Amino acid sequence: MAATLCGRLLPKSGWVPLTQNVRHGSKAVTRHRKPLHILKQKLLAVTEYIPPKPRAPPEALVPRRKWTQMEHPLANLLRKDLENVFEENKLIVVVHYNAIHTDDLTRLKLRLKKHDIRIRFFPNQVTRAFLNNSIYCNLLPLVCGKTVLFISKQAKVKEMLQTMKHYPEMVLLGGCVENTLMSYQGIVSYSKLQSIGVIQGQLVSDLTMITSQTHSLLRHHPVHLSALLQQHVKQKEPVDVDDTVGQEAAA
Amino acid sequence: MAARKAGLALKVVNKIIIRFCPFEPNSRSVREFLTLVTSRKVRDSNKKCEIVTEVKHDSSEPAVDITFLDGEQLIMKTKNLTSKEMILALQNVCIAKEPQGKPGDM
Repeated sequence: MAATLCGRLLPKSGWVPLTQNVRHGSKAVTRHRKPLHILKQKLLAVTEYIPPKPRAPPEALVPRRKWTQMEHPLANLLRKDLENVFEENKLIVVVHYNAIHTDDLTRLKLRLKKHDIRIRFFPNQVTRAFLNNSIYCNLLPLVCGKTVLFISKQAKVKEMLQTMKHYPEMVLLGGCVENTLMSYQGIVSYSKLQSIGVIQGQLVSDLTMITSQTHSLLRHHPVHLSALLQQHVKQKEPVDVDDTVGQEAAA
Repeated sequence: MAARKAGLALKVVNKIIIRFCPFEPNSRSVREFLTLVTSRKVRDSNKKCEIVTEVKHDSSEPAVDITFLDGEQLIMKTKNLTSKEMILALQNVCIAKEPQGKPGDM
């Protein structure tokens, strides 16, 4: 078979087939990505496409407009309302309120209304925005969580405390009474104060008592001296009598 | 885990005293804790549990004093605690004390 094939493949006689020592070289088509020849790598690196850099957009050169948050109109309205509340009312108290039945809250509102005390709810954001820019900024720490304001045009603190005793869900934190910031203890001691008329009467009576004592004060020293001298005389009298009796007996 | 998901229950708690100074900024977490503990669900879990609030003005640190039915006391100084941490701590103690709680729950 080999002889017949050789005869067909090699038509020229006397022609020795080429002896080619074929080395097992690498294939051109491989299943994996073949690493590039170093020269080809260099060529590709040098001739790599560099896209042109886009110019900076015009907005990048000018500073961006900052979006300032506009105050919500309702918040603005509530803040102005709160300003009026602080101006018109003598009693403004911050109260922390826990879960309370609606019926209980209604009853509390009615009982307070008898003493002209109203309950007002303001969002904390609005209250903080107002207090930050006002003279009442020390009330800021109180406004946190669930808070409510008790306001009144008259400073009926005693009645307010008596009503709140029956509602332990409402916790009094502090407030502003007659333009004076007070803590809970301050409000309690304020409630124990008597009315102005009574205090004025007490002051007048104390002053008159002092002035009435002037006469007795002036007379005090001479009276005391005379009393002492009288006592001295009384003590000396029996000694004198005894002396005279003793002298007569000796004689 | 099921007990934790159910929320805070005050069945084993006798009394809770919450002391804070509202003018101090560190009393925020205590006030949140007070709001959570006095919520309807938690209060309904034990209506006999007394919750007392003491408002002070002496720059003292806020504290929560919890007395349990078996006489044990838990005092939490809440200056650097969040309300969630306080609730978790109380919940853990309540679960441990509950007679129905299984020991292998944790």
